[in-house]
Amino acid sequence: MAASAPRKIWQTLAAIKTGVVLLILVVILSAAGTVILQRPATEPDEMLRAYSPHVLRLLDALGLTDVFHAWWFVLLLSLVSLSIIAASVQRFPNAWRFFSRPYKSPDDAFRKALPQHKLIPIQDEEASLSIAERVLHKEGFGPERIVREKNFSLFGERNRFSEMAVYIVHASLLLIFLGTNIDALLGWRAFVTLTRGQQSSQVKPQNGNPHNLLFAIRCDGAGQENYADGTPKRWWSDLSVLENGKVTLRKQIVVNEPLVYRGIRFYQASYGKTGKIDRLVLAATPRNGQPSKEITIGLDETLPLDAGTTVRLAEFIPDYVVSDGQVYARSNELENPAAHLVVESKKSGQAVDVWLPPIEGLEQNASSPYAFEGKDVQMAYFTGLEVSHEPGQWAVWAGAVLMGIGLTVVFYFVHTRMWVVPVRDASGQLQLWIGGIANKNKDAFEQRFNDLVEQIESELKVSVRTGAAASAAVLTGK
Amino acid sequence: MARVAKIEQQPVPTGTALVVAVGLGVAFLLFMAFLNVVKSGNLLNDSNLLYAALIFYSGAGTLYLGFGITGTPAYIRFASLATWAGLIANTGAVAHRWIEAGHPPFASIYEMLLMFVWTLAVLTLIAEKKFDVKVIGTVTMPVAIVGVVLMQLLRTEVRPLVPALQSTWLHVHVTLAMLAYAACALSFALAMMFLIQDKTKTETFLAATSLFGVATYAGVLTRFEKWGGLSVVAWNPQEKSEVFLSKSVRLFVVIPDLGWLLLLVLAAVAAPFVLYLIWRKTQNQEFLDTANRAVFLSILLQVLALIFFILRVRDGHYASLDADGLFPTTLAASPFILSGLIGGIFVSLLYLLLLWRREELERMLPSADQLDRITYKTIAIAFPLLTLMIAAGAYWANRTWGSYWSWDPKETWAAITWLVYAGYLHMRITRGWRGRRAAYFAILGFAVVMFTFFGVTYLLPGLHAYA
Repeated sequence: MAASAPRKIWQTLAAIKTGVVLLILVVILSAAGTVILQRPATEPDEMLRAYSPHVLRLLDALGLTDVFHAWWFVLLLSLVSLSIIAASVQRFPNAWRFFSRPYKSPDDAFRKALPQHKLIPIQDEEASLSIAERVLHKEGFGPERIVREKNFSLFGERNRFSEMAVYIVHASLLLIFLGTNIDALLGWRAFVTLTRGQQSSQVKPQNGNPHNLLFAIRCDGAGQENYADGTPKRWWSDLSVLENGKVTLRKQIVVNEPLVYRGIRFYQASYGKTGKIDRLVLAATPRNGQPSKEITIGLDETLPLDAGTTVRLAEFIPDYVVSDGQVYARSNELENPAAHLVVESKKSGQAVDVWLPPIEGLEQNASSPYAFEGKDVQMAYFTGLEVSHEPGQWAVWAGAVLMGIGLTVVFYFVHTRMWVVPVRDASGQLQLWIGGIANKNKDAFEQRFNDLVEQIESELKVSVRTGAAASAAVLTGK
Repeated sequence: MARVAKIEQQPVPTGTALVVAVGLGVAFLLFMAFLNVVKSGNLLNDSNLLYAALIFYSGAGTLYLGFGITGTPAYIRFASLATWAGLIANTGAVAHRWIEAGHPPFASIYEMLLMFVWTLAVLTLIAEKKFDVKVIGTVTMPVAIVGVVLMQLLRTEVRPLVPALQSTWLHVHVTLAMLAYAACALSFALAMMFLIQDKTKTETFLAATSLFGVATYAGVLTRFEKWGGLSVVAWNPQEKSEVFLSKSVRLFVVIPDLGWLLLLVLAAVAAPFVLYLIWRKTQNQEFLDTANRAVFLSILLQVLALIFFILRVRDGHYASLDADGLFPTTLAASPFILSGLIGGIFVSLLYLLLLWRREELERMLPSADQLDRITYKTIAIAFPLLTLMIAAGAYWANRTWGSYWSWDPKETWAAITWLVYAGYLHMRITRGWRGRRAAYFAILGFAVVMFTFFGVTYLLPGLHAYA
């Protein structure tokens, strides 16, 4: 029978050899992906430093600098999936027949070929079968009586479902692949940075256009806690989710504890200084001798000092230097701060520049109706949130759980079968043929089989003795 | 005939001498330790308990070795007792560390070694009692001793957990990993014993031992620097941590001349393999004898290299190629090199044991068939554990980084390990692979495990910088 081409391809895919070759290829290529530096995790200039231009061009052309996203790797994984499907489909009908129509009535040839069997001479067929039935029942084989031509035989089994467990394992692997494929097609990862009070409904992926969310996320606060030795213990962010301007969810997230809303997850990824000011606390003392008052002001915020005077925080430089009559920021650290206030008088319409500390050439501190003194500075911190959408992850987790169950059944639940058939040997002596088989862990089953046979044998002996006593009693007529 | 008669006249060894000697040794060391404890007044800390464990494990190891060499059954009983005592002390050390740190001891290489040794001792007792593989302690106890000695060298303060590690899932992940890897180690030892029982030639073990040494020293020598130096990670004694130039970029210092010495040792461990190849070609027995002598020589050189390494790395300040000035280093900064050097010596010693005592070993081991089946059973335990370990790790990664799989080298190699064992199971179940081929597969599997555990951290960059 000449096989057609698609049939041949199908059979090649189903062959265990194909599967093993594919797995070896996966192993080799993914190992290569761990040895060769990978984009985009490695910066381009580091790639240039590690490899010569020729080699790098070759690696790039072959896709070896991004193995796990190369088309041929995806193709390979697809082939692996196809091979698993083909192998399972090809073997399934046989296994299913075995599973759904158990072999209950062993014939002569089977009885001879079965490695694990024993013959016990008996007197009474019916009584012996009942005893064997009782023992098998006690041992959890759930025996049933099978009708033969003129008499009965017994069939009992345990854990038949374990024959199908390997398909559960393979199905779970496919489920995991399905989940990862869904994520590769529909999932995305992005990043958003927020400062206290800020909100956003747009997140930026590493490359490509920003994603617009159907809701906004707001940061109500973020912070870091340290151990006594100064190493970070905990980063946290208080987040609110807003839909149509209304808060629908609040949660404090920490590393390992994301916020999930509509399938989109927000992770605490980074935390740091923006170099900008959050709040500045000042003591403002009027020059006319009235008592001073304390004000708290943010950047570009305008506050009234009295009925006719306002103050605005125009600039704040955390670490300033003066060069050529200009103020520059040296770093984002709060080392040597300078604040630029603008005091405006409504009456005269006059605006005065106040600098703290006074910077020559810029400050007009003396003309201001108020003298200022810095009391406290709160710098603004940002919280960096990793945002991810992985709609396929549930298939992955379901697959992992299913695989755990499947493997447990595959390795630890043994399908054992027992048959008991009354037979006559060549001399016409009535015998009980007891046979059994296990689909794995055969040495342990051998022990168990011998125990079972011993149990049946000893109960048979007891019954023969009591039976003999009874018939003796009948004979003597007592 | 006269020789036979002479052997027959010798009294049957009862083994009292060794048991008494080991017992006295253990008692003496415990007494000395007790004097120290009384002086310091601090009885139950993990260092003392670990010391007790070391003493008991050493006693057990000696007795197991005694059993391996002489076959005196009395040794086994006392060896098991010593293992039990060591295990109790080890459990105490784990518990103390757990309470002191406030989290399960999985955060550093020290704590993981603690758990690994504990698992190994438990598995040894199980293999001995349940599967009747008595001689297994000959292999596992020396490994445990090496583990405890390494811990003494790597002793670290309890360090607070960085935020990413504060997760129950991490503990689940690491526990499963340690259990799975210990089961893999056991399957490896059993596969090796199978090969011994399966009449694999001693010469083959010679070649394998030599190749293992070459791989180990070649791995270490990836840190070879110009002018014969060896790069090791710099250590900050104040913070008790490695020195980082920037995030996850470690600062290396170069120890002069150590590279040359290790290169010499590499040549020495490679020599038996070269001689083995010549013997294969010429069938001249002399080459084989020379090869065995070369193993002996290579052990001496390896011990010398280890001593030099410890002396030079233990303290001292060295220059770096990446920064100006001198920087300190310590043994704790180079756990992988240290494990490699000790592992190389240990494997060579095991080869010598096989070379000299093969017949006795064969008499003591279970039959090849039985070993084959037990190997399969341990892998049947390891594989589901590996699966769950990967799943728990993925779940943890998903909660921490927002992605359950990012193809980082450790993840990829865990997947490769899983695939290798999956391959083993398929070949065994559908193709009926038994015996030698299955044993080779089990050995390959464990080699991949070792690479995942040590090689990836030491040689490849990645997210798993903590372990």
